[in-house]
Amino acid sequence: MNGSRAVVELLEGQKVEVLFGIPGGVLLPLYNELVDTDMRHILPRHEQCAAHMADGYARVSKRPGVCIATSGPGATNLVTGVATAFMDSSPLIALTGQVATGVLGNDAFQEADSFSLMMPITKHNFRVTDPETLPEVMKRAFLIATTGRYGPVHVDLPIDILQGEISDDAMRKPVRVPKPKRNLSGLLDAIKLLEGAERPTILVGGGVSWSRAGPEIAQLADLLMAPIVTTLMAKGAIPEDHPLVLGVCGMHGRQVANYALNNCDILLAIGTRFSDRVTGNLSEFGKNTKVVHVDIDSSEIGKNVKGRVGLVGDAWTVVNALIAGLLKRKKRSTWKDRIIELKKECTCDYNLRSDPIKPQKVIHELSDLLPEDAIVTTEVGQNQMWAAHFFRCHGKRMFFTSGGLGTMGFGFPAALGAKVARPESVVADIAGDGSLQMVSQEFSTAVENDIPVMICLLNNGWLGMVKQWQKHFYGSRYLATKLGKSPDFVKLAEAYGAEAIRIEKHSEVAEAIKRGTRSDVPILLDFIVDPEEDVLPMTPPGKSSAEWIKGRCQWKGGVR
Amino acid sequence: MEVIMMLTYDQPGVMQRVMAEFTRKKINVDTIIVGPCEMPDRSRIVISLRGREMALGVIEHLRGLQEVIEADMVDHRRHEGYAVMLSKGGVCRITGTVEEVETVIKKSQPDKYIEVVNAI
Repeated sequence: MNGSRAVVELLEGQKVEVLFGIPGGVLLPLYNELVDTDMRHILPRHEQCAAHMADGYARVSKRPGVCIATSGPGATNLVTGVATAFMDSSPLIALTGQVATGVLGNDAFQEADSFSLMMPITKHNFRVTDPETLPEVMKRAFLIATTGRYGPVHVDLPIDILQGEISDDAMRKPVRVPKPKRNLSGLLDAIKLLEGAERPTILVGGGVSWSRAGPEIAQLADLLMAPIVTTLMAKGAIPEDHPLVLGVCGMHGRQVANYALNNCDILLAIGTRFSDRVTGNLSEFGKNTKVVHVDIDSSEIGKNVKGRVGLVGDAWTVVNALIAGLLKRKKRSTWKDRIIELKKECTCDYNLRSDPIKPQKVIHELSDLLPEDAIVTTEVGQNQMWAAHFFRCHGKRMFFTSGGLGTMGFGFPAALGAKVARPESVVADIAGDGSLQMVSQEFSTAVENDIPVMICLLNNGWLGMVKQWQKHFYGSRYLATKLGKSPDFVKLAEAYGAEAIRIEKHSEVAEAIKRGTRSDVPILLDFIVDPEEDVLPMTPPGKSSAEWIKGRCQWKGGVR
Repeated sequence: MEVIMMLTYDQPGVMQRVMAEFTRKKINVDTIIVGPCEMPDRSRIVISLRGREMALGVIEHLRGLQEVIEADMVDHRRHEGYAVMLSKGGVCRITGTVEEVETVIKKSQPDKYIEVVNAI
């Protein structure tokens, strides 16, 4: 069979159901074969969004999402989406077309060295230069993406490989990739530390979402009488209505979560890489804390926070081992009781009833009105931090955001991918007007492919997060943050064939969201929100949480 | 001087991927030796650099690469020096411990030379 047919059969063999792709000259042989497959093909309007859609699909289904782009500009456009998936350890298969191997390196039309471009932003990547290796490469790509720490894998496919002949032997060749090595030699030390802990806290990161170890960690928290704080990436990995879950910590985190993080004596960190957005000033972080660090990726142990007990393994296995080791221990509940008392102080009323609409009000209503299995995605900036701080991720709700790379324009296409993966759930993108304008062409994709997501646009006319930093840290010297001439978003969405409502009064917010959740077409809710509202509280960059900016926050628990 | 030795697959792009890890960690590598080894389709890469902390910081990342089969620090006693010098007398090859090779170079003050660190 030819290479294109082989690619199609190999994708089908991996049980791929959906492809997000944009064709181009060198991909014509592949698209010719895709005509005859049952795999659904969705045509985004920009390659970056193809990657975000596949990423959103992967985050919901926990299986690789597949995106396709042509050579040259197709591949370069894909880069942002692939890098986003890389930073958030999302299993993505990115296929790009490439000029024929005979002219590789000759600056042929639409040639870019996508193999080199993708190298630092993928878990691994391949350039196929021999048709006989194509089946092995494709199989390895899927295995690598989902073995150990998940991540994107890129395969560069020159057109002559897609046209070349592939033998049945090559197709049948079995492929293996090595499993990551576990290292639990520190297990006894970890158990000893946790046994002796007076104020243990569990910090949960994105790794826990991927390994779905939430229930086991909740059990461990009950055993240790330890509060759980999550990073942005782990929001929702353990339902936030669990009494011990304090919510998201870090720069814009909840104060009770930061309190538990800063005042524990033993920190059990699981599946997190200690991002600067969590730790603030690294030299101040955890001065008085002993850290047990669990990660599936051995290179993460000691990368940011040094000299701690490291356990290398997947969250689920290690947590179960810890539970087994700690099962018979009686712990005192003093710390837990104190934290639960403090948690009450961190439940402010953010149902702000004033006009112009406060963004917190929108998030409040979304928390109340979205179904228990809703999926929320966010863009990046203020919208993301309001959502992270105030949205209550209860029950089976899921929360997806570009945490590592911070890619504006992630939320809308990721929501589309999420809805494709789980059509029965309500999917809402919490967006900002800056982010949405980076990907607004995807209304076409949503309408054409009948993907009814809800976009909750917090429209304040600014690149709000940057403006907030200009305001607080650069003496209110604003430049290039006012979005002077934005389109009429309602008309824009309607022009694409979506529904849209503008909401200017706080009293109309709930009704609009109800309508949004019932909509069976893509719908934009254009909330005109107060441009003066900042995302607070916040810990300024590079500072410790003692130097926080308070805003409306009522927290009186202190930092130490 | 620290030496990292890797066993890798022998295919295009491996050096680029390996070196990218050093670039990201802001490490200026001193010497690189790469070549075929006792196994078919495999290569050995021997890299020397200054700073033990730096070497330890990069090695787990190297081990994480798909094309790197093994990556280890090499004990100082196994470091081998090698240099080629050009002086008035012609081309001269020197082997020995790193210190020995450096001493010879210093003494003979060649017009041109290149010095690398190898290990096995």
